[in-house]
Amino acid sequence: MRNLYLFFLKYKDHFIFLIFVFSSTFLLLQNDNSNIHIIRGKFSDKFSIISSPFAWMRSMSKLEEETQLLREKNIQLSLKMESMFNANEEYKSLLKLLQLKEDSHLELLAANVINSGSSSNLSSITLDIGTDRGIKVGQAVLVSEGIIGKTVIVGKNSTVVQIMNDVNFRLSVRILPSGNAGILRHLKDDICEIRELQKNSEILIGDKVVTSGFSQIYPKNLPVGEVIEVFNERGSFQKVAKVRIKAKLGSLLHAFIIISDLDKIG
Amino acid sequence: MVKQIFLGLGVFILQFSLVDFLSIKMIRPDFLVIFIFYFSLINGSYKGIVLGFSMGLLCDLTGVGSYFGLTSLTLSITAYLSGFLIGKYERLLPYLFHFLWISILTLHFFIISYVQFQTLFESNFFDFLLKFIFTFGYTMMFFIIVQFFFPVKEASRAKIS
Repeated sequence: MRNLYLFFLKYKDHFIFLIFVFSSTFLLLQNDNSNIHIIRGKFSDKFSIISSPFAWMRSMSKLEEETQLLREKNIQLSLKMESMFNANEEYKSLLKLLQLKEDSHLELLAANVINSGSSSNLSSITLDIGTDRGIKVGQAVLVSEGIIGKTVIVGKNSTVVQIMNDVNFRLSVRILPSGNAGILRHLKDDICEIRELQKNSEILIGDKVVTSGFSQIYPKNLPVGEVIEVFNERGSFQKVAKVRIKAKLGSLLHAFIIISDLDKIG
Repeated sequence: MVKQIFLGLGVFILQFSLVDFLSIKMIRPDFLVIFIFYFSLINGSYKGIVLGFSMGLLCDLTGVGSYFGLTSLTLSITAYLSGFLIGKYERLLPYLFHFLWISILTLHFFIISYVQFQTLFESNFFDFLLKFIFTFGYTMMFFIIVQFFFPVKEASRAKIS
């Protein structure tokens, strides 16, 4: 027995090594055991007390860097979002124009707005097409929302359009469904007024305003706007209607010039 | 002995808490193997194996090692084999001595890498080899720093001198 003890003592290194290697291998093979997971979880909880201050330090050291990164990302995303919104708006606008061209009985020519308000005494826009595309003075210009003006100066490659908010702009219009005709002129912003309306005419808020067709320039029934106010002028035999025009005159990017009315040709 | 146990605990806490700061692309240095290697070289296999197993088990329990039992196994092997190098520097050719201690550490990292990346070993041996070399190389960098202050040959001689 003593010899056995001495034998173990002499080779204790090897024995302890074998015992621990077997134990480790056994534990390694028990990795999927749920009890092992529980024990590890409990130990991990206890030891997290030691690691948490270091984790906090690490987190603080990276905080400023992360904040800076987030700020940059935020600006990038904001710009991207803005660009996407703009693209979406442009897409909608172009889609409307396309729809207008397909549905219309008019022969239309598309143009880009290249300048706005270059004349000091004229509210105008400049389009990128001219006589080379058959444009003449006195042709109606419209967008998907309705009439916006007429051509006044035509160059070879460009055309100046007098738009509705010019003080000298007048347009013969008809109010639907009553059918009363009058003369429209700009007041301020997107508000115009229609004069020369019969006092006994039945005009209601929300009535549609379209071109009358009396003009040589504007074909009839092109949309213009909507009635927002009707009143009788004191000492006058006429009625006045205020109209909100649909087209956004301050932010025009594209427009159509009416080359000819196919109905009239037909 | 008490001093060495405290030193061991210090190394464990260093490994447990600070090693993440030194992590490069999920490759971390292993300070425990450096400690156990020197410990066994100075105090012998027996104490080295016991401490290696205990520290390995502690390391595995606290989640530092990913496989439970793996660190205790490799540290026990390292401690056992390191014990054979005690007093061997003067008896062996120097390059053989250096080759042996590097081989012991290589074996430690090979076992760890093989168990942890066994799927990679089967599917893409080259990637496995890269992982193994980086893991080994990163710890060796720290080992060389320690070696600069306390050479292995000194540690090997320490017991017999």
